[in-house]
Amino acid sequence: MPDFLVRFFPGEKQAGASVDESLYQVFIKTGLPVDASCGGKGNCGRCKIKIREGKVKSLKQGTLTDEEVERGYVLACQSFPRSDLVVEVAEALIAGGIDRAAEDMISEECLSDENLWESSDNAGLFEGNALTPLYVKFYLELPKPDENDAEDDLGRLERGVCKKTGVCRLTTNLDVIRSLPATLRSADWKVTVSMSEIENNFEITGVEPGRTERKYYGIAVDVGTTTVVVHLVDLESGETAGVKGAYNGQSVFGDDVISRIVYAGDSPRGLESLRNAVAGTINSLVEELVKETKIEAEDIKAAVCAGNTTMTHLLLGVDPANIRLEPYTPAANRFPAIKAEEAGLKIFPGSPVLCLPGVASYVGGDTTAGVLFTGMAFSDRLTLFIDVGTNGEMVLGNKDWLVSCACSAGPAFEGVGLKYGMRAMNGAIDHISIGGCGSGVSYTTIGSVPPLGICGSGLIDCIASMRKAGIIDRNGNFTKGCNTFRIRDSGEGKEFVLVGTGEAGCGSDITISEPEVKNLMRSKAAVFAGIRCILKMVGVSFADIDRVIIAGGFGRNIRIKDAVSIGLLPDIPLEKYKYVGNSAVKGAKTVLLHRQAREWIDDIAGRITYIELSTGNDFMEEFISALFIPHTDLNLFPSVRGG
Amino acid sequence: MTVALARERWAGQVAEMTIGKGSGAVSIGGEKTLPFLHFEGEMPNKPAAALELWDVEPVEWPEVLKRHFHGVLGDAVAWAKRCAGYGADLICLRLASAHPDYKDASPGEAAATAASVAEATELPLIVVGCGVEEKDALILPAVSRALAGRNALIGCATANNYKTVCEACLADGHGVIASTPLDINLAKQLNIMMNETGLPPNRIVIDPLVGSLGYGLEYAYSIIERTRLSALSGDRMLAMPVVCFVGYETWKTRESRAEDSEEWGPQEKRAVLWEAVTAASLAQAGGSLFVMYHPESLVQFKKHIDCLMETDQF
Repeated sequence: MPDFLVRFFPGEKQAGASVDESLYQVFIKTGLPVDASCGGKGNCGRCKIKIREGKVKSLKQGTLTDEEVERGYVLACQSFPRSDLVVEVAEALIAGGIDRAAEDMISEECLSDENLWESSDNAGLFEGNALTPLYVKFYLELPKPDENDAEDDLGRLERGVCKKTGVCRLTTNLDVIRSLPATLRSADWKVTVSMSEIENNFEITGVEPGRTERKYYGIAVDVGTTTVVVHLVDLESGETAGVKGAYNGQSVFGDDVISRIVYAGDSPRGLESLRNAVAGTINSLVEELVKETKIEAEDIKAAVCAGNTTMTHLLLGVDPANIRLEPYTPAANRFPAIKAEEAGLKIFPGSPVLCLPGVASYVGGDTTAGVLFTGMAFSDRLTLFIDVGTNGEMVLGNKDWLVSCACSAGPAFEGVGLKYGMRAMNGAIDHISIGGCGSGVSYTTIGSVPPLGICGSGLIDCIASMRKAGIIDRNGNFTKGCNTFRIRDSGEGKEFVLVGTGEAGCGSDITISEPEVKNLMRSKAAVFAGIRCILKMVGVSFADIDRVIIAGGFGRNIRIKDAVSIGLLPDIPLEKYKYVGNSAVKGAKTVLLHRQAREWIDDIAGRITYIELSTGNDFMEEFISALFIPHTDLNLFPSVRGG
Repeated sequence: MTVALARERWAGQVAEMTIGKGSGAVSIGGEKTLPFLHFEGEMPNKPAAALELWDVEPVEWPEVLKRHFHGVLGDAVAWAKRCAGYGADLICLRLASAHPDYKDASPGEAAATAASVAEATELPLIVVGCGVEEKDALILPAVSRALAGRNALIGCATANNYKTVCEACLADGHGVIASTPLDINLAKQLNIMMNETGLPPNRIVIDPLVGSLGYGLEYAYSIIERTRLSALSGDRMLAMPVVCFVGYETWKTRESRAEDSEEWGPQEKRAVLWEAVTAASLAQAGGSLFVMYHPESLVQFKKHIDCLMETDQF
């Protein structure tokens, strides 16, 4: 029972809060996208809010200035309600920021850029195939028994199913058998059969009288370290009926997989809280989807989850401790399907829940899902698949061979760890250009609202144009030559003012500092070093690559050209690039809908050879040489040499 | 029976640069092969050796070293003349007095010292700052101006202060030492950035921060060797000659500082050997310019180099 009521201003949202619940936790619960790059420890100052009415107890002032404290600002993660509250947050956050985050990760229909994924890019892998979802319902008319055909009821049913679907090895449960004789007879042998598939076992899970028109659904879930995205899929038509995304509720326990693993091991009931947090996030998204599409949660009959190895461990309540420790061994890369009630998902309790198989500690089911979805594992063309998230995972190969590696890119390109970094959602600067020496700055934001911060694609633009404008040198150091009001001392080093207070929607200047530029440089260097290492390992050159598929959290507005000019991506013809978006959830959906995909994904996970970059000196060497714009070896970037 | 020697054919060569003006000018670099492989390619200049002097008395120096500079310590001009007498090819002035923790000498004072040393000797000059990047960014441009036209070698520029240093030296006609911590990639990055300020590659010298014998010599050796291999393979941004501050490194070691003892023998002989062997090793790796402390190490090293420069045509 909540102790107090918290209302968010502006807008209608409100939530109950208990006395020992920080306002940051209330935000997460409410689905408000407040970033806390420190994981709610009061260090980053990102969760600054203003208390308009009511009393809170604040543990720590953190980065807030005395003046801000006087004006009523507090850090949400350090503040606990002591009365009913009215809390002021930036308007654009309320204005559907989170929906936008989800939308950003969905379909490609609205996209026009030639670098965006088209369904033909995976050679129409499953197009035109009849759907064979994880759960299926179909109508059967069975022959009535007579003296010549006195087979048992179940046998009769199985014969019918076999004839209809081609699936002849079937199991069932006792509940079905108990109700079967009466149902069959009362329905005059015309029934609707429910069948679900678990690990190549086909189980008749229900028999209803007559033809039921009731629709049934499945969910495809991307269990990301930072974001969770759920697609509600109509299993009859294969269409996506709704999409929702939210921040992973685990983020209060830490920003990256390592801090989560530490939390799981060090805190009492840590594993359980993490498990509940992520299940809770999925459930609240399902709840929203159910409400929006006016269906019942009971109508959701199957779930497929694609997560990195750590996320899969945590979702299933498996201790991930050894993922963090040398030689980095997960408990398992392949997990048995379980029932929804066991997974803590609030959908039909008996629904199968499938977690996609991974390859190694840092190449998980989200990556195999991407490989499946892109079709690269069946293609003649040599493909490099790069999923840039907190960890950068990459897979290189074709139908004959596949190798993968992971590098810790850090969450900088997801906007985490930067004062004004944010994910690709409303109010995020997605493009920016800067005149010589910072003489003029122009930008666009997602949703065309006043800017709140800057997302991955904007950050790439930002580094590229700061370099072009002569504000930073090839090392990412601010140069001394530029005299502009935009470059100033922040107290913790120099910073460049991207947007002045007047224009910004967040009540302060939007800036990027020298240490933040260096942080982004390290991220881009890690990704590029990973690419170089994996290519070197198999003796392939950039010119040999037929296409590069980019997945992940930059935001779909990534300008490949700028990403190349800062040395994040290899300098190969731009038309070889494709941006696929959230391939994890797309792969999960494919698995949900196609039996063939369920077989293939196991096969793919088994075929990918994992290369550990932390052994040997190659990665470090490549990393240092990539810590330069675009790269120490300028010959690798012929198209950007002059810059 | 004749034996056909395997000869590597290299695409590139080390950049050749000259320090100083007139008859005393010294050229370094220019080799088209790995060090001393005269049968394989040209090595037009032999490695050069400089003696280092400070603008203040180096109180930490052991007596066996100081005694050779008796009466001139703390007097840079007299010290410089003494160095010339000891047979140094170049003189390296270290502006230690500018160190904020020491005397925090001003850019003007540093420039005046450098100018008076330049006045007193015909030998080519190397001038290095106090090692604090921010402070060096202030004093080195002043030094550069004071020495305009002398074609000195000024350092050390780092990733954090190269711009100021390079711009001054470019205008005043000097070379610049580019200092990076034992990493071939970082060395190349700094060279590229310095080159982009307009400074041509033949006016840059790489300082990879060497270690002395027993204190990381093999790291320095392999970095220098890789730098030379890159240059010979055609990488112009790693083709600059390499400077080794051998004296500065060796005279910090226990082996040089421990006094005479039965077990370790006489200090001075031991220390001189330590310095000369470190320099000789790094010359084999591909170093071009050696800055030393002890006059006897200098003599021994130069003798060794002269032997190595004899042709080895078969």
